[in-house]
Amino acid sequence: MQKYSVFNLIKNAFKGHKDWEVAWKDPTPKSEYDVVIIGGGGHGLATAYYLAKEHKITNVAIIEKGWIGGGNVGRNTTILRSNYMHDENGLFYEKGMNLWKSMSQELNFNVMYSPRGIINLAHSDAQMNAYARRGNSMRLNGIDAVLLGREEVKKIVPVLDFSENVRFPIFGALMQPSGGTARHDAVAWGYARQADSMGVDIIQHCEVTGFDIVNGKAQGIQTSRGNIKAKKIGLCVAGNTSVLADMLNITLPIETHLLQACVSEPIKPILDHVVTFGAGHFYCSQSDKGEMVMGGDLDGYNSYAQRGNLPTLQHVLTEGIAMLPFLSKLKMLRTWGGIMDMSMDGSPIIDKTHIDGLYLNCGWCYGGFKATPVSGWTFAHTIAQDKVHELNAGFSLKRFNTGHLIDEKGLGTKTWIS
Amino acid sequence: MLHIKCPHCGLRSQNEFAYGGDGTVKRPELNKKVSDKEWDTFVYLRKSPRGKHTELWHHVSGCRQWIKVERDTVTHEIFKTAKVNEDI
Amino acid sequence: MSENFRLDKIGLINRNKKISFKFNGKKYFGYEGDTLASALIANGVHLIGRSFKYHRPRGFFGAGVDEPYAIVQLYRNNETEPNVRATEQELFEGLEAKSVNCWPSVNFDIGAINNFLNKFFPAGFYYKTFMWPKSFWYKVYEPFIRKAAGFGVASTKHDNERYEHKYEYCDLLITGSGPSGLASAYAAAKNGARVILAEDKPRFGGSLLTSEVNIGNQSGKDWADNIIAELKGMPNVIVKNRAQVFGYYDHNMLVMSERISDHLPKSKKYKPKQRLWYIRAKEVIISSGSIERPIVFGNNDTPGVVLASAAKEYLKVYGVLVGKKPLIFTNNDSAYETAIEFKKNGVGSIVLDTRSNPDSEIINEAINMGIKIKFSHVIVAAKGYKKVKSAEIAKISEDKKDLDKLETIDCDCICVSGFWTPTIHLASQSGNKTKFNEEIDAFIPGQSKQNETTVGSANGIFSLEQTLKTSFEAGHEISKKITNKNNKVLVPQVSEKKFTQHDKFWCVPLPKEKNYKRFLDFQNDVAVTDVELAIREGYRSIEHVKRYTTLGMATDQGKTSNLNGLQLVSSIENKIVPSVGHTTFRPPFTPVSIGAIVGREIGKHSKPTRKSPMHSWHEKNNAVFVDAGIWLRPRYYKQDNESLFEASKREAENVRKNVGVCDVTTLGKIDIKGPDAAEFLNRVYTNAWLKLPVGKARYGVMLREDGMVMDDGTTTRISENHYHMTTTTAQAANVLSHLEYYLQIVWPELKVNVVSTTEQWAGAAIAGPKSRNLLQKLFPDIDVSNTGLPFMGYIESSLSGVQARIFRISFSGELAYEVNVESDNGEFMWKKIIEVGKEFSIQPYGTEALSTLRIEMGHVAGSELDGRTIPYDNGLDGLISKKKDFIGKRSLDRKAFTAKDRQRVVGVVPIDKKTSIPEGSHLVIDANAKLPNPKLGHVSASCWSVENNNPFSLAILKDGKNMIGKKLFALSPLKNKSIPVEIVSSHYVDPKGERVRS
Repeated sequence: MQKYSVFNLIKNAFKGHKDWEVAWKDPTPKSEYDVVIIGGGGHGLATAYYLAKEHKITNVAIIEKGWIGGGNVGRNTTILRSNYMHDENGLFYEKGMNLWKSMSQELNFNVMYSPRGIINLAHSDAQMNAYARRGNSMRLNGIDAVLLGREEVKKIVPVLDFSENVRFPIFGALMQPSGGTARHDAVAWGYARQADSMGVDIIQHCEVTGFDIVNGKAQGIQTSRGNIKAKKIGLCVAGNTSVLADMLNITLPIETHLLQACVSEPIKPILDHVVTFGAGHFYCSQSDKGEMVMGGDLDGYNSYAQRGNLPTLQHVLTEGIAMLPFLSKLKMLRTWGGIMDMSMDGSPIIDKTHIDGLYLNCGWCYGGFKATPVSGWTFAHTIAQDKVHELNAGFSLKRFNTGHLIDEKGLGTKTWIS
Repeated sequence: MLHIKCPHCGLRSQNEFAYGGDGTVKRPELNKKVSDKEWDTFVYLRKSPRGKHTELWHHVSGCRQWIKVERDTVTHEIFKTAKVNEDI
Repeated sequence: MSENFRLDKIGLINRNKKISFKFNGKKYFGYEGDTLASALIANGVHLIGRSFKYHRPRGFFGAGVDEPYAIVQLYRNNETEPNVRATEQELFEGLEAKSVNCWPSVNFDIGAINNFLNKFFPAGFYYKTFMWPKSFWYKVYEPFIRKAAGFGVASTKHDNERYEHKYEYCDLLITGSGPSGLASAYAAAKNGARVILAEDKPRFGGSLLTSEVNIGNQSGKDWADNIIAELKGMPNVIVKNRAQVFGYYDHNMLVMSERISDHLPKSKKYKPKQRLWYIRAKEVIISSGSIERPIVFGNNDTPGVVLASAAKEYLKVYGVLVGKKPLIFTNNDSAYETAIEFKKNGVGSIVLDTRSNPDSEIINEAINMGIKIKFSHVIVAAKGYKKVKSAEIAKISEDKKDLDKLETIDCDCICVSGFWTPTIHLASQSGNKTKFNEEIDAFIPGQSKQNETTVGSANGIFSLEQTLKTSFEAGHEISKKITNKNNKVLVPQVSEKKFTQHDKFWCVPLPKEKNYKRFLDFQNDVAVTDVELAIREGYRSIEHVKRYTTLGMATDQGKTSNLNGLQLVSSIENKIVPSVGHTTFRPPFTPVSIGAIVGREIGKHSKPTRKSPMHSWHEKNNAVFVDAGIWLRPRYYKQDNESLFEASKREAENVRKNVGVCDVTTLGKIDIKGPDAAEFLNRVYTNAWLKLPVGKARYGVMLREDGMVMDDGTTTRISENHYHMTTTTAQAANVLSHLEYYLQIVWPELKVNVVSTTEQWAGAAIAGPKSRNLLQKLFPDIDVSNTGLPFMGYIESSLSGVQARIFRISFSGELAYEVNVESDNGEFMWKKIIEVGKEFSIQPYGTEALSTLRIEMGHVAGSELDGRTIPYDNGLDGLISKKKDFIGKRSLDRKAFTAKDRQRVVGVVPIDKKTSIPEGSHLVIDANAKLPNPKLGHVSASCWSVENNNPFSLAILKDGKNMIGKKLFALSPLKNKSIPVEIVSSHYVDPKGERVRS
């Protein structure tokens, strides 16, 4: 594989950039693979990459209905963090943070990992206490966290509203300094390029239409481009999991919901960190291009439409101005929607299923992007070894029977209340 | 913003309503012995179809009645609404 | 500077009103009715900014919303606004604007060095480099890149402008007031429909303002003016200019932003800057017209290269010449109108037409006027850096692949026309699946998904006659459906020039040995080579191309670039355009002010504030408030220089010693009535309710179906079939919905009705050993002794003539009562209690003292009932009835919930009896264990026990039941604290609960 480097860039510049190779090929599907991963999003691509790299399983196909990276990996707000309270989440995402740190070098693709720090604002002492519980839990799990008072927050992010004219004054914040952002598309493309180079077939515009299950064992899949046999099948289609599960006669503890995000027009640097509003649900960071990247609540009803309605964004931006008054004079440039698997306790599922050789990766709610590397890493392990890794042992399907739920927010099964 | 026809009040904007999720979920009868599986299905498992979805909405800023709505989860088109004691 | 490029006799500006303005510090003049762009061009200013990546000089390209370049920083009324499009900003007296994205100035921009190095910065170059050394991306490269990116600068001041919202319903919303919009509006309005006609620009008429046509024996513009005047006089019509319908949402909800004051030096008093309209339309007619697209050629981004239609608009609307030596480069007839207009105003131009031998009325007219035309000719490249000085042109072969020899001609502007792209954004947003129209080489709307109809050039119809005919018809037919009327208006006679077929040519090939940059997306500097590279590297889907090259992602959202990008991809991939497909159109059509989207809900009003009827008393008595959801509650009442700790301690001590009063109005209250009310409560709560006598209250816990505690509170049987339920402040709304769900859906057979009475009752809790004495004085008519009003008793009486409900319930663990009166009498009640209570040393107490009192009593509250705990965890398992079923009971059998070492609430006391334990600390066995250090539980609530005068906390602890007496550490790494603690009972004071019964 061609190496990406500044030297190669200069060399190619003098040749008019005519010699760059394809980042990934466009093969026709073979009739059989050791492993078929359904879903060419971030998690599917990462899974294929780690199957090849960590487990030396390279006879792998990724089957993608549309174009790779077109789902949630390409329509999120690019936030990376591991600021979780529950051990199952904290330790899992922290492994992810470690993978993020060296991803550009490992993939030889600049994913623009940028640990600019994530700051969760608190607007009452009660909220400061809740954050303390979370932050202490993080620290005892070896994750970086600091509690900031109002004045400290003001020093770090002076553009927040510290005036008298606020409904919910800022009391302080919980900060994870190593939290930050990465360039979302680059993550998908970087994994795709490396997976491809190790022999993984990336098959785009190929829709799965059915499964071949014989005597409780997975045999292969039916697709719009023919039948493909597979010893093992991994489902990595967050947002559409219920649709595929339906083909398998499986009902899951998830619902599909719509989450919108938007960006402003680009402006000169004004916000270095990722900041979340505590008296509601709003988060914001500034992209390298200068756009303010903003998100908040779900639209709040089951939806597979990648389009939402304005009142939700109005509500989100109301909290935006309450936090960052300067947003008022900016213009909203672009909006988009992604569809989420909202699980019944807000945590993901990475597990085997009752069907031999069929593995499930779903339920990411609105937090899947940051999990991309560790989700792929643990899912690859689960598929390759036919058993869960200790990092994803908690994300089992059976927790909904046993009561070992991982509910960060304590909201229970009303998934649409975020 | 959706426009929902409350069977009690007429067409109203979505912001008068609260969503109530999968309308096909049926609570096991009280005092009846139910298997773990039945119970978990009731508490946690949800229909989440791509297309027609029967769901509940609650007219919280209106008549405070729960209602049934049949809606397309892709186009958001509403086909039908009904009182909870009516079939949809 | 004099206005060198302004014509005397033409244009719609108001020459009687001269306006002065500044651009980059220099003073200029323009006229009322100018845009910033037209006024600058009139003054010969073409260099307005720099491009995003290569910092190439940028001028004006369009004359409206499609403008990709001309973005400025605007200064108005002591405020500044970034990224304002100069082609849309109307001129006002004192306007100031500056170029963006250039340093030190737009004329000399250091960033332009990127342009000379551009071969090193192809599409996606940053993915291939900046990776070494590892930390340098974040520390070195990225900060540099961030600084270079972005356009304008945001003001960090609060926005002092006002933005409003309006909700409107109509039969028919029409978006755009060109010929198709006017015709359909007129037809529908005359047929009785309630119509809203929205026009983005200040002037109505769309293309009629600039075209030479006749409608019903009037000029197009006069016809438009007359129609608008008539529409404005009709009561069933709302006509709005400066109003952009930018979003088409579900169920025919459209959103429009109206610029009320942006064209004025400052907003008038009480007038908003902008108004956002949510419009629910029964039907929508999309008459948004079309946008001219460019032909791609070398250095086509040089200032002075403009759309031919824009040049015509500057001329006819503003009386401004974009140049005096124009070249016109076209593949179709419409650009001839521009050439003719130039000629009429004394400016000769040369037309380069890519077609070899077109024959039409307008071309003949141009020839007859003496306009020079070169057929089969193309512009290969513009020459000049900050302004076009000349152009390299060449004859092109019939197959459009080979260029003849290059020739240079002088010019000062290039007006380019590559035919018209229907503005299908709104139709596409509505869910309409667009289709490709071969004839016009562009997408048009397909089958409607919502109630929308697209007319005129937005639908690919470019003949005026056809447009008017179909638009009148559409307006009539659609209105007929709604009004059931049939008043038809006559379609006027039209005279227009007939155009011949355009040439589907869109990109000039490069001559040998030349590597001119040919731009597709002007703002983001995306050139033909970038798209070629993307596809070469396998980014072949149109979405990959967009994301890899950033084509169409600039602030103009690709209005002039997307289709050419598609053409390029389809030609490289050898696919037809429709099979490449276009990227998704999403709202907003054009960027919308965030202030306008938010409206008036800003500052203190970003969320509502709820106050109890006693609020003003609290304020007058130095209460320090705390937000409890959206309620404001007194946290403590400050005396002198007391701290929170001192005040709350004083208040809590007074409750334990004398008597205190606390405002508990915020608690949720639900009236429950009906013959089956007892049965219903029995199903909702975990404990037994069937035998509660009238006049008695009971504490209850309710669960979610998943077994988690949802809420707790007391419910009182007021009469046989009437109960009064209280909930926590936070869960009030959820509990009501929960009850309604079960009554309406699960158990409709139960005859019960519930209604919220939270707002109806003001509540005061009177607590402390002297509370009975006080109560007796307040209510002398009743027996409040332990037998007259026992623990959990209820009685009604009159408080100096005001009807009151008295509950003997306690949250503080002391002998306590709660008095409720109708809200209007709340302040009266409160004052009375304070007045009568004086002799018992009464003090009001706030939520902080309340917390202290409940914590040391071991009463669980919100920090324990956090949606993750079951009754057992909270020590409430005694309230679980074994004899009956209730909501959530079946879930309590789960393995995790019945584990022997299940978590449970405990008390925590520091061994030194001095060090307070921060809330949120975790309990561990070994304070110095290596990470991850196993956590046994967390401290949920802490207080200073006023009873024992030492710190005391509650914690939810693994195997809490068997941990009493154990020694652990409370760790708070965030606060750098490691505190040795002893686990004790959660009931630290009065463990047997004797006081409440005393």
